[in-house]
Amino acid sequence: MSSTTFRLIAGLIIGLIVGLIYGWVLRPVEYVDTAPDTLREDYRADYVLMVAEAYAGDGDLDLAQIRLAALGPQPPVDIVVEAIDYAVKQNFSRPDLETLNRLAIQLRSIPPSPEIGGP
Amino acid sequence: MKREDWLPILMGLVIGLAIGLYYSWVINPVEFVETSPASMRDDFKADYLALIASAYAYSGDLPRAEARIAIFQEPNPAITFSQLAQKRLAMGRPQSETRAIALMAAALGDRPTPMASVSSQTKVVSPSPIKTTPTLTRTPPPPPTRTPSPTPGAPFELLDQEKVCDPDLYAPLIQVVVIDAAGRAVPGVEILVVWDTGQDHFFTGLKPELGLGYGDFAMTEGVIYTVQVVKSESPITGLTAEDCFGDGDELFPGSWLLTFQQPELP
Repeated sequence: MSSTTFRLIAGLIIGLIVGLIYGWVLRPVEYVDTAPDTLREDYRADYVLMVAEAYAGDGDLDLAQIRLAALGPQPPVDIVVEAIDYAVKQNFSRPDLETLNRLAIQLRSIPPSPEIGGP
Repeated sequence: MKREDWLPILMGLVIGLAIGLYYSWVINPVEFVETSPASMRDDFKADYLALIASAYAYSGDLPRAEARIAIFQEPNPAITFSQLAQKRLAMGRPQSETRAIALMAAALGDRPTPMASVSSQTKVVSPSPIKTTPTLTRTPPPPPTRTPSPTPGAPFELLDQEKVCDPDLYAPLIQVVVIDAAGRAVPGVEILVVWDTGQDHFFTGLKPELGLGYGDFAMTEGVIYTVQVVKSESPITGLTAEDCFGDGDELFPGSWLLTFQQPELP
């Protein structure tokens, strides 16, 4: 390998490393306008707990479902069950677990919407 | 080394840097899949704050609500919630939510900076831009704090009605102060205002700097209003912006100050 090629490759590798460090560490892409569905697991569980608390106060199940829908496309009851799993693992207090559980029970009691185009 | 010897290194550096940046910014950027509520878009942030208030209205757990609010590092959360309540009221959001936000604003307005008073029991994780192992946000059992609310069942009665001649007010106002039987200000009370072509409502506690039991409504000159505390049976009728005289005998429209109190239960 000629020394020119060697220098070119050495420069390329150094430049690549500097570029990656700059792009990933020093000045990474900033996400400033995120949505609730990207929340970290602990914040997500706390969000669901707040929905459950709000539901316990106002009894508005439709509003609770709308709020849970912000966390992603899964069925609301699955989102609450995930939060309960997290809450159990992290030793949330008993009243909090009960509040979450009450919301899960209410969501389970909703009859599934009829399928369109069935026989 | 000669000058020509540096040229390939420099060329390699530039090309490598370009490839590195393209890869790290476009092809495989840092993914923020575990974000903090503080990085959310403004509308989601407003929904989140409203949810904090609704949860607080149920639990009455102010330290926990403050810990949740502290994530957003708002310089003055009481004002943030006041403004949010007014916006959500105008948007026609559910009354339970608007009332909860008003209560939150009132509770925060009654205290120093919430960021300084985050409960030591509640461990709130600091926002981290890089994917990390999730950290626990412990939610302690609610302490025995209660949401301020009027005594159930007892309707508010008009205690005092006073004409206010204050040229510094931005408009002729119907100012309402609601207190309980013990004389303590009551936030979150809904006030209905009716006139011949429409009606509106507002809540006490949305301007905590003027008192937790305070609320107001801007009158239009020449319109006659009726004011009623919701769930009260005695509307106050015939309220209009009456003339007041300023220092130089100039006329300006006056305001009304109505004080409602909850009677003591027998």
